[in-house]
Amino acid sequence: MPEALVVKDLSKRFGGLRAVQDVSLTVRENETLALIGPNGAGKTTAFNLIMGFYRPDAGSVVAFGRELTGLRPHDVCKHGLARTFQVAKPFGGMTVLENVMTGAFLRDRHPGSARDKAREAIAFVGLSTKENVAARDLTTIDQRRLEMARALATQPKLLLLDEVMAGLNPTEVDQAVALVHRLAERGLTIVIVEHLMRAVMAVAKHIVVLDHGQKIAEGSPNDVMANPEVIRAYLGSTAAR
Amino acid sequence: MNFSARINAVLAVLLAALIALPLAVTSNFAYDILIRILLFAFIGTSWNLLGGYAKQFSLGHAAFFGLGAYTSSLLQINYGVSPWLGMLAGGVVAMLASLPIGWLCFRLRGPYFTIATIATAQVLMLVFLKFRDFAWGAEGTTMPNLGSAPLMMQFEGKAPYYYVALGLLLLSLVVTFYISRSRTGYYLLALGEDQDAAEAVGIDVPGEKRNIFMVSAFLTAMGGTFYVQYIYFIDPNTAFNFDVSIKAALVSIVGGVGTLFGPLIGTVLLETTAALLQSWLGNQAGVQVTVYALILMAIILWRPTGIMGFAKEFLLRKKLRATP
Amino acid sequence: MLETVTQAVINGLLIGGIYALVSIGVTLIFGVVKIVNFAQGEFVMIGMYITFFLATQLGMDPIVSLVVSMPVLFVIGLGVQHFLIRRVLGLNDLPQIFLTFALSLLILNVALMVLTPNYRTLHTSYSDAALHFGGFYVPVAKLIAFGVAMLLSAILWVFLHTTDLGRAMRAASQNRDVAQLMGINPHRVFAVALGIALALAGAAGSLLMPFYPAYPMVGQVFVLMAFVAVVLGTLGNVMGALVASLLMGIAESLGIQFIGADSGLIVVFLLLLITLAVKPSGLAA
Repeated sequence: MPEALVVKDLSKRFGGLRAVQDVSLTVRENETLALIGPNGAGKTTAFNLIMGFYRPDAGSVVAFGRELTGLRPHDVCKHGLARTFQVAKPFGGMTVLENVMTGAFLRDRHPGSARDKAREAIAFVGLSTKENVAARDLTTIDQRRLEMARALATQPKLLLLDEVMAGLNPTEVDQAVALVHRLAERGLTIVIVEHLMRAVMAVAKHIVVLDHGQKIAEGSPNDVMANPEVIRAYLGSTAAR
Repeated sequence: MNFSARINAVLAVLLAALIALPLAVTSNFAYDILIRILLFAFIGTSWNLLGGYAKQFSLGHAAFFGLGAYTSSLLQINYGVSPWLGMLAGGVVAMLASLPIGWLCFRLRGPYFTIATIATAQVLMLVFLKFRDFAWGAEGTTMPNLGSAPLMMQFEGKAPYYYVALGLLLLSLVVTFYISRSRTGYYLLALGEDQDAAEAVGIDVPGEKRNIFMVSAFLTAMGGTFYVQYIYFIDPNTAFNFDVSIKAALVSIVGGVGTLFGPLIGTVLLETTAALLQSWLGNQAGVQVTVYALILMAIILWRPTGIMGFAKEFLLRKKLRATP
Repeated sequence: MLETVTQAVINGLLIGGIYALVSIGVTLIFGVVKIVNFAQGEFVMIGMYITFFLATQLGMDPIVSLVVSMPVLFVIGLGVQHFLIRRVLGLNDLPQIFLTFALSLLILNVALMVLTPNYRTLHTSYSDAALHFGGFYVPVAKLIAFGVAMLLSAILWVFLHTTDLGRAMRAASQNRDVAQLMGINPHRVFAVALGIALALAGAAGSLLMPFYPAYPMVGQVFVLMAFVAVVLGTLGNVMGALVASLLMGIAESLGIQFIGADSGLIVVFLLLLITLAVKPSGLAA
C-alpha cells in the first residue's frame, strides 16, 4: 500500500514545554491508525501540527506525496486532509445543512450542487432528520456527527478524528465505532486520537503511543498493550482508563 | 401565494412607494430625515457585510466614510473632477486603505479588533486635522456651489439627492443579497462563528476577511462622497466623525446583524425616534444618543438577534400555531 | 535639548500615573471577567464630578474626596456586574462588546443632559504650585496624583498577591477552570474585580480634578489611552498595563513637545499600530 501520510521528526515547543518531540509516523492508504497516550502526551498538538494550525519548529509533514509543512490549515484541507475537533466547533447559529455546505463548498462553489453533496454527507452520518436544526441545539453526539459530516463534505482522502468518542454513553460509542468502520470501508485513511481503549481496539490495526511528546511505542494493538513502556506511561499517569 | 412570493410582492410595493415618495413630500425637514435614513441605512448595510456576516465588529468605518468624502472633494476642488467619478475614486482609495488597516486590525480578535479600528479612524482624523496645506486642515472648506449641475452631483431641490441616496441603498442591498446567497456568504457566516473550524473546512479566513473588508470599505466611502455633496461642506470632524462609526454598527445591531434588511429597519426605527424626540424636546444635547443607548442596551439584553430575529421568531410561532 | 527632553519625560511620567489607574482597571476586568469595559472612561468622568461637587459644595479637598469617590464607584462596579455584565457572560462577542459600549454612550449623554457640556475647573491651593529640582519643574498637583496612583497600584499588587480573593482573581485571569477548582464563587470574584476597577477609575478622576477640567467627554481621552496601554502591556497583565501607561504618558508628552500640541494622541495611536504590526501579542509577552 502506498503511503498516505508521512510525518518525520516533528517537533514543537511552547515556551519551555516540549509538546511534541521528534515524532515520526507513517500512515498507509486506507489504513486506520490510532494515536494514543496519556493526557498531555501531545496528541492534539500533533494534529494541529499536521493540519497547519501550528507551525512546527522542526520536521516535515508529507501527505499523498505533497509537502504540507508550513501550509495554512485551509490549504492543507485543499490537499485532501480534514479533521474534527476535540471540543466540537459547530457553526452554532447556522443549521446542520448550512454547516455541512461550508465543507462542500471546498470542491463545488455553486450553492445548489453543494447543498446536494452536503445532504449526502449528512445522510451518511445519520443526521438527515435534523437538517434544519441550528447546530447549537444539537446533542453532544449529534454535534460530533455534524463535525464528521462537515469534514466529509470536503471530500478528504485522510480524516483526522480527535477524541470523537469522549463524553458519549456506551450505546453512542458503539454507533460512533460503526461510523468509523463505514468511513474506512469508503476507502478513507483515518488517524484517530482516542482515550477509550475499547474503541481504539475496535477500529485500529495500527497504534502509535505518545508520552511527554515523544513516540514510545508503535505496532499492532496486542504488541503495544504488552509493551512495558506503554504500561508504565499509563500507570504513571492519571489517565489509565 | 406562497411565503416568498408574498415577501417579494411586499418588497415590490415598498420599492414603488419609496420611488413615488417625493411626490408626497414637500417640507425640507421631512426630506432631511428621509435622506438621513437612506444614507445611514446604506452605511449600516455596508458595515453589516463585515460586522454582521463576518462578525468583525468595526467601530472605525468613519475612516472609509472620511476617505471617500476627502477623495472626491480634493478631486473636485483641485482638478474639477466630477464627484460621480470622485465617488468611485473614493471607493478605490478606501478599498486600498482597508488592506493595511485590515492587516493591522485583524491580528486582534474580538473587542481588541474593535479598539484597533477605533484607533485607525482616529489617526486618520488627526492626520487630516494636522496637515493644513494638504486638505484645508481643521477649518475644512465649503464645496463650490454650481447651482443645478447634475453631472457634478449638485441639484436644485432635495428630491434628486433623495434618489441618489435611494440608489446607494439599493446598490448595497443588491450587493448584500448576492453575497449572502453565494459561497462567500456562507463562508462569512462560518468564520464569524468559529475561525478555527472555518479554516479546517478549507476557508481562507484571512483572505475572506480581507475581501469583505474591501467591499465594505468601498461602499462606505461612496456614502462619504454623497454626504459632503449633500451638505456642501467638509472638515475632518464631519468626515471622520466617530458618530458615523457608531451609527453604522448601531442600526445593524438594532435591526439584526447578518440579515439583509436589518440595518434598514434599525435605521428607520432609530431615525424616526430621533426625529420625534427632536420635535418634542428640541435640540437638547445628549437626549438623542441617550435614547439610542437605551434601545441598544435593551436589544442586547433581551433580543440580541435584533428586530429581524424577533420578527422571525414571531412568524415561526404564528406558523406553528396555524398548523397544530 | 537634553533638558527639554527631561522636562517632557517628567511631565509624561506624572500624567502616565493617571493613565495607569485607568488601564489597570481595564486590564483587571479583561483578565478576570474577559470583558472589555468601554465605559471605563465615563467612570473617570463620574469620579471627577463627584470631586468637583464635593469641593464646590462642601469645600472638601480633592485628595480627601478619594474616600468618597472610590467607595461610591466600587458600589457602582458591583451594580454594573450584577445587573448588566452578568447577563452577557458566556455569550458571543457582540453583546459583550456592545453592552459596555452602550453603557458608555448612556453615561456620557446623560451627563451631557444633566451637567451640560461646560468645562468645570477646580482651583486648589496647590493647583499652581510647583517644585524645582535643578532647573526642572514639577507641578505639585501632578506629583501628588502620581504618588497616590503609584500607592494605589502597589496596594492592588499586594492585594492580588497576598489575599485569597486576590489570588483567586489572578487564577481566574490565567485560567477559568483553575478558579473554579479552587471553589471560588466566580460572580463574587467578578463583582469585586469590577468594583476595584471602577474605584481606581474614580480615584483617577479625583486626582485629576486639581489640574484638569471636568466635562462629559473627558473620559474618552483616558479610555483610549487605557486601551492602547492594555494592548501594549499584554491583555490582562496588571504590571504590563502599569509600565505601558507610564511609557505612553512619556510618548505623548514627547509628541506634544516635539511635533505639536495636538499630536500627542497621534503618537500614542501610532505606537499602538506599530506594536500591532511588529508584535501583536504585546510588549510583555
